[in-house]
Amino acid sequence: MDNLGFLFAANVCVWGGIVFYVYTLKQRNRALEKDLDLLKETLSKER
Amino acid sequence: MNLFLSQVSAIVWKDFVTELKTRELFSAMFIFALLVILIFIFSVNLSIVKASEVGPGILWVAFLFSGTLGLNRSFVLEKENGCLMGLMLAPADRTAIYFGKLISNLVFLSIMELFILPLFMIFFNIDLIEYLLPLLLVIFLGTLGFCALGTLLSSLASNLKTREIMLPILLYPLLVPIVIGVVRMTGQILAGEPLSGMMNWIGLTASFDIIYIGVSIMTIDHILEE
Amino acid sequence: MNPDAVEEKQEEGNILVWLTGFGLLMAMIGIFIYVPTERTEGVIQRIMYFHVPCAWLSFFAFFVVFICSILFLWKKDREWDIYAHASAGIGVVFCSLVLITGPIWARPIWGAWWVWDARLTSTLILWLIYVAYLMLRAQSDAGSMRARYAAVLGIVGFLNIPFIHFSVLWWRTFHPQPKVITNEGIGKGMDPSMLATLGLSLFAFTLLYFLLMGERVRQEKLKDEIDRLKREKLYSS
Repeated sequence: MDNLGFLFAANVCVWGGIVFYVYTLKQRNRALEKDLDLLKETLSKER
Repeated sequence: MNLFLSQVSAIVWKDFVTELKTRELFSAMFIFALLVILIFIFSVNLSIVKASEVGPGILWVAFLFSGTLGLNRSFVLEKENGCLMGLMLAPADRTAIYFGKLISNLVFLSIMELFILPLFMIFFNIDLIEYLLPLLLVIFLGTLGFCALGTLLSSLASNLKTREIMLPILLYPLLVPIVIGVVRMTGQILAGEPLSGMMNWIGLTASFDIIYIGVSIMTIDHILEE
Repeated sequence: MNPDAVEEKQEEGNILVWLTGFGLLMAMIGIFIYVPTERTEGVIQRIMYFHVPCAWLSFFAFFVVFICSILFLWKKDREWDIYAHASAGIGVVFCSLVLITGPIWARPIWGAWWVWDARLTSTLILWLIYVAYLMLRAQSDAGSMRARYAAVLGIVGFLNIPFIHFSVLWWRTFHPQPKVITNEGIGKGMDPSMLATLGLSLFAFTLLYFLLMGERVRQEKLKDEIDRLKREKLYSS
């Protein structure tokens, strides 16, 4: 029985999905951190 | 206890009076259920499929859809003129509000179902008279479960911006067990099987009803809180 | 938080990252090199080694949502709300992966992408419940109302699982349709090497869950912090 194609597809889905999820999480966190730093900076400048 | 009962009955009574004055909810629910049944009759070829096989499913879909109309109405009506605030300010328990709403939803839906059943009997050529008692029991169990969970979620959804959309989305997946149960039981009853043959389903729906009424009592305080 | 504590926390995070990466790598080696090919199903059976951990992870995540929802309603602490939210998101992601890999496995084995079998159906309903949970969170504004409503739904949704399980099971046992389900390969007759690989994979995925949880929780806390600063600025000016 040769179902390598199916196995490959399932693997791409799972690992692709996980990597994509982790990537978006990291990206979002980085953007938020940047925002936070910017905010802190402007706040401290005004004071 | 007496006080609690009088609080509940006051809320139920209020809902009835409003409904008798406006008559907007009941007629809408009834006509909508009828329409759902008609649409299903047109979309299913009854000359191929046996009416007693698809009938229970169609009947329950009609009940659930028109019941959702009623649920949507029950708390939105209170929201509109700040009546819910008034209810919450009244020296009544939150649980009393829940039970009042549950009972009025249950009664409205049950009356609507009693009107739909004869029409269902005529449209599908199924003789219901023979099995009326077990059928009514199953319909009661199913409707109670639907209203128990539905009242809780409608009190929750009424505070959202998109309440009409969110209520079915929240409610229907949670109702799947009870829908499977009542449709299966109704089908078996119409096939002439005795109630004793489906004790597992009766147990499932009854425990669904009890657990969700219990959960609602415990959580309603957190929902009706401003 | 003093800088030392921050550093320490970062250190812990790094250890978890490396451990998870190592675990997943070992699991991959186990799945593709070490474990022997199953006789009846062939190579496709190897899907099971991450299909099952994904399912375990999502159920575990939903259980965490349930516990955190109860704790939130009890303590009214924003912390628990964050945990419940983060866990629900992760659970939905892995539940989706289960729903994707399931049909890919079923197609060559059962000859159909989807069979209305008990386990598939209940996973789908579970997915729908928690997607609705996330939608509820997205629809309402941040604050105590959203947290309370979500917590109620988290409790109601998890309590539904036993009902779904039994109803779907009985629903299908009346129609003895998919006999194939019995040779799914999770029986007692499992080779020790297969069991070890599955165990390793389960372990690695559990670590992954905690790693993702950490990131997700950090994200929510950052959002909170930004919100707080903005509000502070608004009221001070």
